[in-house]
Amino acid sequence: MITFAMIKPHAVKNPVALSHIMQIIKDNNFNIIRKSRIKFNRKSAEKFYEEHHGRFYFNRLVTFMTSGEAEVLILERENAITKWRELLGPTKIFKCIYSHPSSIRGLYGLTDTRNACHGSDSPESVSKEIEKVFPGFYSEQKN
Amino acid sequence: MSLLHRKLQNIVFNSVRSISKLKKRKILQDESSFEVYRIKPKTSTTHNKIYVWGMQETGALGLATSLKVHKHGLTTMKKYPKRMPFGERFEVIDAAAGYGFSIFAVEPTEEHGNYTLYGSGLNTDSQIGYHKHLGIINKPIELLLYPAPIELPMKSPDEIHRVIKVGCGRAHTVVLTEQGVIFTLGNNSYGQCARIIIEDENYLGSQVINRLIPELFENKRIKDIACGQDHTMFLTENGEVYSCGWSADGQTGLGTYNNQELPKLVEGDIKKEKIIKLSSTGDAVLAMNDKGEVFGWGNSEYNQILLDSDEQQINVPLHLKYLKNIGKVTDIAAGGSFSMILNDEGNVFVWGYGLLGFGPNVDFCKEPKLIPPTLFGRNSFNPQNRIISINCGLYHMAAINSDNDLFMWGRNKFGCLGIGHDNDQYFPFKSLVGAKVHRVFCGVDHSIALCKLFI
Repeated sequence: MITFAMIKPHAVKNPVALSHIMQIIKDNNFNIIRKSRIKFNRKSAEKFYEEHHGRFYFNRLVTFMTSGEAEVLILERENAITKWRELLGPTKIFKCIYSHPSSIRGLYGLTDTRNACHGSDSPESVSKEIEKVFPGFYSEQKN
Repeated sequence: MSLLHRKLQNIVFNSVRSISKLKKRKILQDESSFEVYRIKPKTSTTHNKIYVWGMQETGALGLATSLKVHKHGLTTMKKYPKRMPFGERFEVIDAAAGYGFSIFAVEPTEEHGNYTLYGSGLNTDSQIGYHKHLGIINKPIELLLYPAPIELPMKSPDEIHRVIKVGCGRAHTVVLTEQGVIFTLGNNSYGQCARIIIEDENYLGSQVINRLIPELFENKRIKDIACGQDHTMFLTENGEVYSCGWSADGQTGLGTYNNQELPKLVEGDIKKEKIIKLSSTGDAVLAMNDKGEVFGWGNSEYNQILLDSDEQQINVPLHLKYLKNIGKVTDIAAGGSFSMILNDEGNVFVWGYGLLGFGPNVDFCKEPKLIPPTLFGRNSFNPQNRIISINCGLYHMAAINSDNDLFMWGRNKFGCLGIGHDNDQYFPFKSLVGAKVHRVFCGVDHSIALCKLFI
């Protein structure tokens, strides 16, 4: 089972946070299938987060994601989606730091939008998001 | 064997006695020939001790001098306040704590090359200037473990600007000099450095230090600066506010949710008001005028600006009328999910969300609530005790009382409260600084205190 993970710009800029997050991925027996650095522009970020379109934080999320490079990963493990989301912790950082202080977001999230990492929530969104970031990944796998 | 031993002892004893005799004679003979060592006390007009604590791995504390110790990860965090040797060598005027880095403004001295600005910690966005590895590795340094000088661009080599104020955001630094000149360095992806945004600019190893021209502020003199995570505000002598940077929550107060590249005058309710202090650490902003009234704008998701409203983002300054009953406000501090004010009786009021100092329950506080003054050391033996200044980080709070004791509480991220452990603190607790604290600066996961000795 695979999942899609992304380390957001502010955590990529902090080498201490980045190395710790990569260590957590390794310690939890995730296989890194693909790994690359991408820079979203306004258009691609809007497309990536189209399901959040119309929410009050949409503009905030898009402008944040375009502020720097993000690290995108495809991770493989049994129960990858739930395990990765469990390691991440809740989205809202100001609540997460008290409820899940040792999760990735509890340690390296700053505010609700600057929440360190992204993880897909369902198998459908995994394939959708991988197709957006790594176009042609599935067709390569079939070959 | 024992005889020899005794003989030896005698010799030693005699020689000691002869020296002391000699000395005595010398004193009796002539006092002026006696060499007197006078300890030269450092005549510091500002602060002569700096204490730092919190996350050390980023180098923000500026303590580690050995790369070997750092590489082995022995220096993750400092739970106790640690005296910084840097503070003894330089006279620090002002300091600022950002996300994983610290900036110090120092008095220029000849022996240290007339540098006025030093920085330590993360440098992936060149927020502490351009520093290159020595030797073969021709790469910019990502992480500085010890404060390194930052050279500010001057118009002539003799020009020395004494820095009076520094401000740090998530990855940018703003510097204000005595002559009213402003320099910005670091990340400019939202326009927080007050210059035009360049698409795909590489900030690592960038040598750009922006010197703002006075025309940006219509030739008005700037007297103070304040930085949020990704926005910057400038306060003029007449009490007007200019702002630039990220405005997705309306934190620039310019009536827009778009990035602002060049500083622009903030209007709304603060128009015609004389603002004397600005405060911001996250995405919410508080401002205070000379009459002690408070204004706010920016993020209000946790009701830290507006109490009874579903409005989550405010892009125009609003007068916070619900603070009328609290009296004249003398200090303000805006955190990530809460706000804090100090009134002229020395009482601290907090509202918003988080560990606000009212016990172990993390909960919403929907109206300004007084923190019992007893917790800050006011009792029947010491009834005059009051809080003189407050400050806060994203999730933790700090207050200094009239005895110059520092109290901290809130989320103890990487030991940033300085109370000897890394568990959260539910009520104000005296941090373990061994000096009189005069000013405190809270970063995201570390803190800096400018102190004086007890005597």
